[in-house]
Amino acid sequence: MNILPGLESTSSALAAEKVRLDIIGQNIANAHTTRGLDGKPYARQMVSFESKLMEVGVKEDGSKIMTIGVQVKSIESDKTIGALVYNPTHPDADEKGYVRLPNVNLTHEMVDMIAASRSYEANLQVVRTAKQMAQQALRIGK
Amino acid sequence: MIDQILERENYVLAKKLLDVSHARHQALAGNLANAETPGYKRSDIKADFALELQKLASGNDIASISKFEAPVGVDLNSPSVRPDGNNVQLDSELLKMNQNSMQFEFLAQYASNSLNRIKTAITGQV
Repeated sequence: MNILPGLESTSSALAAEKVRLDIIGQNIANAHTTRGLDGKPYARQMVSFESKLMEVGVKEDGSKIMTIGVQVKSIESDKTIGALVYNPTHPDADEKGYVRLPNVNLTHEMVDMIAASRSYEANLQVVRTAKQMAQQALRIGK
Repeated sequence: MIDQILERENYVLAKKLLDVSHARHQALAGNLANAETPGYKRSDIKADFALELQKLASGNDIASISKFEAPVGVDLNSPSVRPDGNNVQLDSELLKMNQNSMQFEFLAQYASNSLNRIKTAITGQV
């Protein structure tokens, strides 16, 4: 048993949410990039999470105490096709005069960003509560 | 003589419930960490824990209370609010965590007061 319960899973969640926010920032920055690194329009990146078992301590009989944390499973490109806009003077326009834009929807990205930041706040609240509990435990007998 | 005070049922129960609160916070922390993981089912103290502890407490074996392990299990009864099967609700988890924290404070105060009573009996001063 450790003095601050829940620390391992919370720190894994904070790291995962940071990665998610990173990717959202990247998507928003490239929302109008018509020529990505491979020559095609920028493809929106998606983060997916998965649970992972983390060891927290050892019991007296030798068996391990596990808790469930979270990790980033993969960062994949969204295969949806972006919008076509008619703009013949654009340097990346094709023969017919259309420009293909990235498949980034700014509204979706903003909502994702709010969800990620709320999740981050909730995990910070867990750490604050654990610290409070530890301080109360240290006051026993005083 | 001090053993009789330290082995009283309420004090032993308070100690055990402090451990349970600690374990519960761990479980709730894991739930909040996995609030966005697809298919994750929340875990918590098992629902029959209170009854089990009451049975032990009404029996005569005080030592069995301290040996009783806090059972943390997966909660499948909570409804799934998302299409991917994840049944963690952010507000519900935070409320439970706050409630758990208050319970921990109460139990810590109770244990503290029990110990201070012994001190008072020894020193004669409150």
